[in-house]
Amino acid sequence: MRLYLAAALAACLATGSARAATEIDLFFPVPVQGKLANEMQRLVEVFNKDHAAIHVTPVYSGSYDDTNLKTHAAIQAGKPPAAVIMSANFVREYVINDEIVQLDRLIEKDGMTEAAFMDQFWPALRLNATEQGHAYGVPFHNSTPLLYYSVDAFKDAGLDPEHPPVTWQDWLTAAKKLAKHDGTATTRWGLMMPGTYDYCGWITSGLAMSNGGQFYNPDYGGEVYYTAPSTVGAVRFLDTLVHKAKAMPEGVTDANAVTTAFFQGRTGMMVLSTGSLSFVRDNMKTPYRVAFLPRNLDNAVPIGGASLILPKGNSPEREAAAWTLIKWLTSPEISGGWSRFTGYFAPRIAAYDLPEMKTFIAAHPDAKVALDQLAYARGWFSTYNVVGVRKALEDGVQAVLSGKATPEAAMAKAQQEADALMRPYVEQTALKLPE
Amino acid sequence: MVALARLVARPLIVSTVRKRRPALAGLTPYLLLAPSALFLLAFTYWPVVQVVRSSLTVRGFRGAPHWGLENYSRLFGDAHFTTAVGNTLVYAAGTIIPGLVLALLFALALTETTRLTGTLRTLVALPMLIPLVAAASLFAFIFLPNAGLLDHYLAIFGVAETNWLGDPSLALGSIIAITVWKNCGYYMLFFLAGLAGIPRELLDAAKIDGAGPVQRLFRITLPLLGPTLAFVLVIATLNAMTQIDHVIVLTQGGPSDTTSMLLFYIYQQAQQNFDVGRASAATVVSVGVLFVLSLVSLRSLERGIHYET
Repeated sequence: MRLYLAAALAACLATGSARAATEIDLFFPVPVQGKLANEMQRLVEVFNKDHAAIHVTPVYSGSYDDTNLKTHAAIQAGKPPAAVIMSANFVREYVINDEIVQLDRLIEKDGMTEAAFMDQFWPALRLNATEQGHAYGVPFHNSTPLLYYSVDAFKDAGLDPEHPPVTWQDWLTAAKKLAKHDGTATTRWGLMMPGTYDYCGWITSGLAMSNGGQFYNPDYGGEVYYTAPSTVGAVRFLDTLVHKAKAMPEGVTDANAVTTAFFQGRTGMMVLSTGSLSFVRDNMKTPYRVAFLPRNLDNAVPIGGASLILPKGNSPEREAAAWTLIKWLTSPEISGGWSRFTGYFAPRIAAYDLPEMKTFIAAHPDAKVALDQLAYARGWFSTYNVVGVRKALEDGVQAVLSGKATPEAAMAKAQQEADALMRPYVEQTALKLPE
Repeated sequence: MVALARLVARPLIVSTVRKRRPALAGLTPYLLLAPSALFLLAFTYWPVVQVVRSSLTVRGFRGAPHWGLENYSRLFGDAHFTTAVGNTLVYAAGTIIPGLVLALLFALALTETTRLTGTLRTLVALPMLIPLVAAASLFAFIFLPNAGLLDHYLAIFGVAETNWLGDPSLALGSIIAITVWKNCGYYMLFFLAGLAGIPRELLDAAKIDGAGPVQRLFRITLPLLGPTLAFVLVIATLNAMTQIDHVIVLTQGGPSDTTSMLLFYIYQQAQQNFDVGRASAATVVSVGVLFVLSLVSLRSLERGIHYET
């Protein structure tokens, strides 16, 4: 009898706990530093405490590229994660491959329209989160390229730190003045920017956009404009900075080398993500300022950062639980807190109406400049086979930075390679015609 | 495998099994080997078969896959593949030759066992204890232009700031230098063992006959080290083909593909471009090359052993 009771009790407990919590997992990348991982862990604990019906396990999944890889692998293996924080420009590929849940249904269930839902986010961020009028991602944290400059270096070179370069002409002049050469050695560079894979393509696309270009077709994933005058002009400008003006180091510099040089006063300016604002603020010992990325024709920058997505293939319960998590993570309070912690923008416009956010912006004018630039932001380069298509451009730009190719030749080769990588998709879409 | 089976089975046959159940005796070696064979089949041979299959499966974007050799023709037509093969050859030559020569010199210099050489041996062998990923992360700082350790000390001699990993003409050389530093001590240990196996009398006899140190080295020491050399050569070749952790950590194959190796190319095709067909074709090609290389080296290894006895 006692055994029966115990068994019944155990059964009760078992079903009870099963009903108590839907188990879901969240894949999250950490693109910048380790301390972001701890903060994400903490956030999820808070969420779990507040939502008894859901239990989230955060899974640290490496860099943006690693997260993409692991998500793909998990989907192929039939065990998709419930939610993923995905690099915003990879979302389109998931749509093309039909591996992602369209969010319109979930949004409508909450009594909202897709347009009203997306209106809660900064306009520039909507481009990479929607595809042909349907929502596929919810912006989580975002960035743009930003010009950082050292006040001391500006004064030393006879430049006015209150008036940072606005046009490419100003920029080149400032870079030349800032560069200090001692015989063959350079004691201070005028300008540095990361030229490694991923960063290189992002910054180059920003320069092409500042040069009046589109760089890629924001509406169709099978076209890039590497040989367009706007892109070739941007690459020529980089070539001038390195080889004619001798204001930027030759070859490829990684982000670590760029920040180290900036902190040590060995470069007057650098181009880096707004997502590194907190990191620079914590490590730069002398005064620095930030400014918009200078323009040749237009003020324009691409967005960067990540969106939350729901991979296909989860049960309706898990999907609903993940949707609750997504809404919580992108709420103004959480969004604002994460933004203050990391330096990324809060994608939710309402986050900036909160008093703690207003105090923060008032105390940190650099964050204000970054936010103001968002008004000129565009979508982030996204195509079919996006990593390979991006690398084709980057190999070309790196060859130019190293003095191994002319901008024209390098871009012609890049375009050819990119076209070849997108061909399978193009043949099945834009070139698939009625016969 | 059969030879190995016989070897394992021998003591059993001699002692107990023969007396009781001679019928089962023939099976025993296979039973003993079965567990290992099972794992080999499941985790080595089956994946090989799968890779060959997927290298012959042609997938387009949307649409049913079909069989064919397109993956191979696309592979051989890809300039990135040719670059990766070229880089791998340069990398192999650049790591194996200096690595082995340095290791041999260290071994010769430290062959006597004293307290000093003991310490020095440990120091030379130390890098092998550091995982390649960790070593690469250390070198990221050592190679930092201007601020890094290397440039810091080179500046004393008036060498200007150098972009060790970001200059396409230097990047592969820097990657090679890390590998030589990392593996040299490991190979030295093999050479030390090989040197210890050379009979003292031979060297003494040569000395009495009036052979100088150089003659002794080339006429006695090196020929007798033949088998060790062949063995280390195999290990070094495999290392050159299979260890690319530092490439992933430091350069991602860049700048402009100058440090892309065969294995990195495969990783890129499979994981970045999701082109499983081409990645599989490249895998089949590189496994084939490795297989032939090992066969050739092992054969020469065996020849070396016969020479010794």
